[in-house]
Amino acid sequence: MQPMIKVENLTKRYAGVTALNGVSFEVGRGEIVGFLGPNGAGKSTTMKILTGFIPASAGQVTVAGCDVFEESLEVRRHIGYMPENNPLYVDMRVNEYLKFRAKLKGVARADRKERVQEAMERTGIADVQDRVIGQLSKGYRQRVGLADALLHEPDLLILDEPTIGLDPVQIRQVRELIKELGKQHTILLSTHILPEVEMTCNRVIIIHRGKILASDTPENLRKTLRSGGMVNVELRAPLADVQSVLPVVPGVASVTVTTGDDGMVYAAVEAKADADPREAIYQAAVQGGWTLRELTRSRTTLEDIFVQVTREEDEAEEDRRDQRRSVLR
Amino acid sequence: MRNVPTLLRREMNACFASVLGYVVLVFLLVVMGFVFCSSIADLLASGTTQITVMRRFFYWFWLPSLFVIPAITMRLLAEEKRSGTIEMLMTAPVTDFEVVLAKWLGAVVLYGLMWGLTGLYVLILRKFTGGLTSLDFGPIASGYLGVLLIGQFLIAVGVLTSSLTKNQVVAFLISFALVFLFVIGIWFGEYFARGTTFGKLFEYISCFTHMEEFARGIVDVRTVVLYLSASFWVLFVTTRVVESRKWR
Repeated sequence: MQPMIKVENLTKRYAGVTALNGVSFEVGRGEIVGFLGPNGAGKSTTMKILTGFIPASAGQVTVAGCDVFEESLEVRRHIGYMPENNPLYVDMRVNEYLKFRAKLKGVARADRKERVQEAMERTGIADVQDRVIGQLSKGYRQRVGLADALLHEPDLLILDEPTIGLDPVQIRQVRELIKELGKQHTILLSTHILPEVEMTCNRVIIIHRGKILASDTPENLRKTLRSGGMVNVELRAPLADVQSVLPVVPGVASVTVTTGDDGMVYAAVEAKADADPREAIYQAAVQGGWTLRELTRSRTTLEDIFVQVTREEDEAEEDRRDQRRSVLR
Repeated sequence: MRNVPTLLRREMNACFASVLGYVVLVFLLVVMGFVFCSSIADLLASGTTQITVMRRFFYWFWLPSLFVIPAITMRLLAEEKRSGTIEMLMTAPVTDFEVVLAKWLGAVVLYGLMWGLTGLYVLILRKFTGGLTSLDFGPIASGYLGVLLIGQFLIAVGVLTSSLTKNQVVAFLISFALVFLFVIGIWFGEYFARGTTFGKLFEYISCFTHMEEFARGIVDVRTVVLYLSASFWVLFVTTRVVESRKWR
């Protein structure tokens, strides 16, 4: 089966700026994929190209087997798109707007009423359908945008920052909705909020400075990038003993030891990949006769991965720059 | 062209949902009402029928148009660009030309409806001049045709300027300047280059010449074709400007 989205060597240059640099990825049918990256990484640009709003400078992009540039109108029929900041006609009423959009998207006259009603019910805006969009709260407007994206029952939903600017309750509601929609549609959503991806997506694509740095499930990313995680240890013991013993405990990669005012020793232990050194640390404490107050493991969050991956990339970039400079000298 | 009626309906709704539409309408009615009154006063004072009331009425059509046309076109594309709704519009399965055409058509219909209300003046004239001068409806109809024909071209120019910027005020000022040049600039050229080849040229393309003919009941096919093809060309350029997001 052909993938829903296939992007090969996508490059986009604006005057003087390379927004995307040889990006390739695929999204299979039924996947919920999160596009993760800091502001200005190229998320929105990729989405604008996918929806045919702007063309690529180079590369091949197909949606449901259609080239986005050659068969733009056909591609647009497959996509339900919610742009960044969710622009809507604020002077229209909700049902009036959705009816207009349904017509524009070519929903047959006979089905139109039903589709509009269905989209409103799925997004929970049926009770505000007679209100003017400009007077709705941001959460409701966001749902109007989602309802619009659903109208023509597209195979693919592309949502650019769907939870931006919402309050915590609204964010939770929109995430639930996205998960619900993921049962029937392929979804590509972008965000720079990490927990969002962990909660809603079954795959993450990390993009930074127009390049894809990683693409995997949140679990796998954790495993491959830094599996062991951190172990926090609090002890009542002589500082020198802790400093000499802990680093040689099996499974420990590195240790940072500090002392507190209360006479406790705090050790931040970084575990080796695929290792859990907690039991070994306990044994070491018993042997040394230390009093152990805390021994906890913090799992690597996506945030750590994200920071790590983007930092590595930034450092690599810096190295390249330094090399170029030294060559020039 | 399948989507033009849908888009057009949205345009018309947007016009009547905003206060601006009504303000512009009142402005047009006040200005043309004043022109109408002064024509009647002139007629009563001189008692001549040589320059009939409606001919003088149509002669002044450019005065409200100078403001009305930039005012009803400034919003069209500039506002979509500013608010970002252009992205919603252009990622729906519609072509750029359909959008431009619907914007233009919406403004033309609105402009036509506004002038249509000045038809009340004709009814007033008919009631009060029953004995004095008998009204000839032919030239009145062709006069309105002229107003609409020249108007639709200037509206196309307004749509073009609206596509160039995100700022409605900027769009208003540019199209005001262009309409001003088209009306007053050409009139000026005609006046100062009178007798030369250029003067002749200016006379041919002057909207005063055309309006004069229409108000006398002459519908010259060449003029009609000139204005329609000019608008088509301007709308084509506008479509290119809208598309330019793709190659900039």
